[in-house]
Amino acid sequence: MKVAFPYMGTVVVYKKLLELLGHEVVVPPRPSQKTIDLGVKYSPEFACFPFKVIMGSYIEACEMGVDTIVTSGGHGPCRAGFYGEIHKRILHRMGYDVDVIIFDAINRDKDRFIENVKKVKGKNSWFKLAKAIKFTYDLLQQIDIFDKEVHRIKPYEEIPGTVDKAWQEIQKEFDLAYDKKQLKKAVDRSREIINSIRLKKVDEREKIRIGIVGEIFVVMEPSINMEIEKVLGELGCEVERSQYLSEWVDFNLMPSFLKKTHEEEVLKKGEKYIEIIIGGHAKQTVGFIVDFKDRGFDGVIHLMPFACLPELVSQSIIPKISKEHDIPVLTLSIDEQTGKANNLTRIEAFIDLIRNKKLGKFVV
Amino acid sequence: MVRAYIGIDVGSVSTNIIALDENNEVLFKLYERTNGQPLETIKKGLKKLKDELGKNIVVSGVGTTGSGRQLAGVMIGADIVKNEITAHAVATVHYVPDVRTIFEIGGQDSKIILIKDQMVVDFAMNTVCAAGTGSFLDHQAERLGIPIEEFGELALTSKNDVRIAGRCTVFAESDMIAKQQYGFSKADIIKGLCNALVRNYINNLGRGKKLEPPYVFQGGVAANVGIKAAFEREVGHEVIVPKYYNVMGAIGAALLAKEAVKEKGKTNFRGFDSLKTNFVPSSFICTGCSNMCEVIKVEMDGTPIAMWGDRCGMWTEKVKQAI
Repeated sequence: MKVAFPYMGTVVVYKKLLELLGHEVVVPPRPSQKTIDLGVKYSPEFACFPFKVIMGSYIEACEMGVDTIVTSGGHGPCRAGFYGEIHKRILHRMGYDVDVIIFDAINRDKDRFIENVKKVKGKNSWFKLAKAIKFTYDLLQQIDIFDKEVHRIKPYEEIPGTVDKAWQEIQKEFDLAYDKKQLKKAVDRSREIINSIRLKKVDEREKIRIGIVGEIFVVMEPSINMEIEKVLGELGCEVERSQYLSEWVDFNLMPSFLKKTHEEEVLKKGEKYIEIIIGGHAKQTVGFIVDFKDRGFDGVIHLMPFACLPELVSQSIIPKISKEHDIPVLTLSIDEQTGKANNLTRIEAFIDLIRNKKLGKFVV
Repeated sequence: MVRAYIGIDVGSVSTNIIALDENNEVLFKLYERTNGQPLETIKKGLKKLKDELGKNIVVSGVGTTGSGRQLAGVMIGADIVKNEITAHAVATVHYVPDVRTIFEIGGQDSKIILIKDQMVVDFAMNTVCAAGTGSFLDHQAERLGIPIEEFGELALTSKNDVRIAGRCTVFAESDMIAKQQYGFSKADIIKGLCNALVRNYINNLGRGKKLEPPYVFQGGVAANVGIKAAFEREVGHEVIVPKYYNVMGAIGAALLAKEAVKEKGKTNFRGFDSLKTNFVPSSFICTGCSNMCEVIKVEMDGTPIAMWGDRCGMWTEKVKQAI
């Protein structure tokens, strides 16, 4: 099988798992203007932005000759649940002969899940599959630790750009690891890279922490969210996202008796505002705003694809949460039309607002 | 000799330049149409400032704001480059200390800024629609053949209520044309338009926010008494238009520049001679990776002094290291 997958976040992880199973893996190009143009052109007009970007990625992957695409499904009434199916139809209509394997949560349709696993497993033994999954899982946990860390220290780098470069290097280190020993080496090397970055000393009271919440794709994929983590880092803010791949896996794919996840707590915190699962990550969004406040964050940026229904619901509840918990929230909607200048003004003003609030004066 | 702080607000429609003295009194005020030529307009404006005040002042600080703030900042050596929301808030708090709500309508942006205890607590900026902004009014005034300065006053003479669709400029215009065909007077239609804009503005930006007085209305559009009246009808309260309503962003930038200079002790101002230098902006698509960023480059007399738009920061850093 020549396999590809949607481009989202730290892609070395998906690549690794598929490679360990002996597949030939094609990593689609990082979403660029070309990807978006392709996606917009071949998607239904009213499909949401993540659908369009992923569509573009698939087309680029097909151009590179893949015969199979592996992806995850969606939750609840949000349209994302149908995406794999529609992507497949569009690709077929365009004349690409590809199979799209969609992994939904295991408890949704066990038989289908197992059938999908068998497809991806191919001729490998179950033992080898388990080993590959275990290894990828460990790698994912480790790489996410660094993902969080780089965005925590980014605002304090002495030489602008060093942290971004370090993060690129760390991803490369992990890309080289194929067994336990190599993984350990990658972790050690990454630790060294992080430790070698010179950081400015900043007074604890002046530190600003921003949480990012919202729909998973626009939160996780920097190439389409204006590199929001980097932008905020340059404005002097520590950043943490509501979504990390390792957490998504723990919550969605691990049976709950194996692992208690933070996301369950978060969902409880959001229960008051959105009682039922309304699709997408709306419930996580409201829960995480409360969670970030409880953990001492100074503000939250809410990213949503333009006209994303679940996120529109959470957006309408946000003013209330913001007031009750006394935490500023800025909503940005993102689509292929995003004018960056306009959003930058908002982000800068928002950070000014937070900094002023914290220090009690207009700071320059 | 007085110490002067210059604030420059480079907007889509107008470029405003302000000079404040040590006591924050306005020494010089300029509101000029940008006409799509921000660089030229800034140069001309600063030249005017120099001609008027040049001999009596020492420029002690410069701040820029507005959509052209980065470029302007690089060009003249600004001490602070600030977004227009903060700049507007700073200026308004200076003139109306107890302000709670700011309505700001400029050329392409409209904003609502909520203030509490002289601090910005919330804001919103128009997102999907520009129906409630100055450029649209400008266009309609031109189409109806009424000078924009008389536009608002004409609205006040209307006795009739005409409802105009204000959701989107295209629909607003076609609705206005339809109402004209039914025979309503220009005054009635303009009043309807003013109401529609304010309704649309409040619906788009004020959503979910509690608006409290005192209200301040500023930006170029605040000159329009028709819109001011429509705001007062909408919120049921007096709306204050400050004296320097159309240059508040520039005043905010000047005030912030003063603060900035106080902190670091000197100004980065390149001097009025910098106006003679030749600034050439250009752009290219970087092919270094799959990002294909559009990189914008500004050259001063042939040497690049600023670059923007590269996601990896490669170009931006190169320039920073060079100067």
